[in-house]
Amino acid sequence: MLLPVLGTVFVVVTYPLLLAVGQSLRATRGGSFVGLRNYASALEDPLLYDALGATGVYAGIVLPAEILAGLGLALLVHRTVHSARVRLAVYILATLPIVIPPVAVGVIARLIYAPGYGVLNHLLRLAGLVQAEIPWLSRRDTAMLAVSSVDIWQWTPFVYLVFFAGLQTVPPESIDAARVDGASGWTLFSRIELPYLRPLLLMVLFFRIADVLRVFDHIFILTGGGPGSTTQLLSIYLYRVAFKFFDTGEAAALAVMVMLGMSLLYAAVTRLLPLERD
Amino acid sequence: MPRRRSRRLWRVVGPPVLCAVGLAYAFPLYWLLVTALKGEGELYQATPSLYPLQPTLAAFSSVLVTRGFLGLLRNSVVVCGATVLLVLAIGFAVTYPITRLKVSRRLRVGVLNWALSLRFLPPVAVVVPYFAIVRGLGLYDRRLALVLIYTVLNLPFSIWMLKGFLAEIPLEVEEAAFVDGASRWVAFRRVLLPLAAPGILASGVIIFAFAWSEFLFALILTASPRAQTFPVGVQGLVTQFEIIWNDMAAAGAIALAVPLGLMVVARRYVLAGLTFGVIRGQ
Repeated sequence: MLLPVLGTVFVVVTYPLLLAVGQSLRATRGGSFVGLRNYASALEDPLLYDALGATGVYAGIVLPAEILAGLGLALLVHRTVHSARVRLAVYILATLPIVIPPVAVGVIARLIYAPGYGVLNHLLRLAGLVQAEIPWLSRRDTAMLAVSSVDIWQWTPFVYLVFFAGLQTVPPESIDAARVDGASGWTLFSRIELPYLRPLLLMVLFFRIADVLRVFDHIFILTGGGPGSTTQLLSIYLYRVAFKFFDTGEAAALAVMVMLGMSLLYAAVTRLLPLERD
Repeated sequence: MPRRRSRRLWRVVGPPVLCAVGLAYAFPLYWLLVTALKGEGELYQATPSLYPLQPTLAAFSSVLVTRGFLGLLRNSVVVCGATVLLVLAIGFAVTYPITRLKVSRRLRVGVLNWALSLRFLPPVAVVVPYFAIVRGLGLYDRRLALVLIYTVLNLPFSIWMLKGFLAEIPLEVEEAAFVDGASRWVAFRRVLLPLAAPGILASGVIIFAFAWSEFLFALILTASPRAQTFPVGVQGLVTQFEIIWNDMAAAGAIALAVPLGLMVVARRYVLAGLTFGVIRGQ
């Protein structure tokens, strides 16, 4: 039973990847074999480097923010909340943002940042912090922050859950022993808890890096990649090459390069992560 | 005593920080709901009111009935339901043998590694070939195309989830049934399946929620209300030239309510599924 099913699944999943390689070697119009020309034209496009840069900036904002906030909150709840019921309530609440459709999160962000109805400007004016309306989504410096804030809002709870679960695996005896020895809060964290969290930190980092390359929906809804190409991450750029410029060959070449990049990441994951496979 | 001081610091900092975080999550959701409950007249005030002056469900009926989003809702339910069934069936066909039968360790590890590797493949990387395949099969603007693609996208973590749940049921339970003369199929149906039911339910809920959220492929592979899913409709309300705020908010609220409701059922298993079993549910 296993092998036929597995074989079919494997073929169904792998065939599109091979097809992408095939498409990347053929001309978009006419379909004649062009070798690596699609790769060359993909690499020559300055927009690709804008997209890579935007992806890097986005990751540079989102990953540290989510990891620090998630870790901080996990420690906070671990240290100050002792009631099992409150902990369970926090756990349940924290799982919720994960399943909110990114499209709906995009809608919410629109209601907050948009000119006119967006509530953030009104709140800031109410507090006397600004006089004029700030066009959050169409200014170069704020658009990336707005788009990142959505990611941080949606994914910090996931990071929190992982770290909080990790903190529960630290044996209380080692904490007590260190306390008796007069260890400070920082020493407790860095010497005892952090080593338990390190594999989880790696896991979060890997999964979130993979996710940054998946990000599409909320940016598509909020800025569409603009203003200019400020928030045009790699995924949005690839989509535009394929379905706005209709350059299938170049899009496939980009896709193959993304796949190669991700297999490097995956190789690192399998080496460094403690996953149970048995 | 540095220890005392740091403990007191946590106590002082803790409650306000947790309140602020709670507010940062509650307010946006509140604002979505408030906007969805506003009437048209309240949308164009110079300063929008922080609560609906005359709450009305007009925006919901405008979205669902006037704009015909009920049809999109039905498409979403059909596509997600079919995806759940297909993923669970295939997931079982893959995970039952690797957890219950004698297969070589290499095969088992190979299957699991392969499933994990797919988690690192961004969907946008397969958009171009999938589009060509769907076109070639004549499935463009058909719900079936989405069902098949969502099945492929959700299979990897489902395999890990189901494997986790099956591995927790001891082999002896089934062996006892074999001793009593049950066939493998009967043992599977009468013994294993009921024991694995909570896990299967949880997996089903999560697959449904993820399929429900999917937007990229639905955007690319559908063109008309006969196959478009709910998120595509929501997106249409957002990017149009003049946004009707209450309609958009109502659509967003519906899109969000379905998975949130389902999560209440499956909350305990979500984390195990998302982290490929690295973290166990609480």
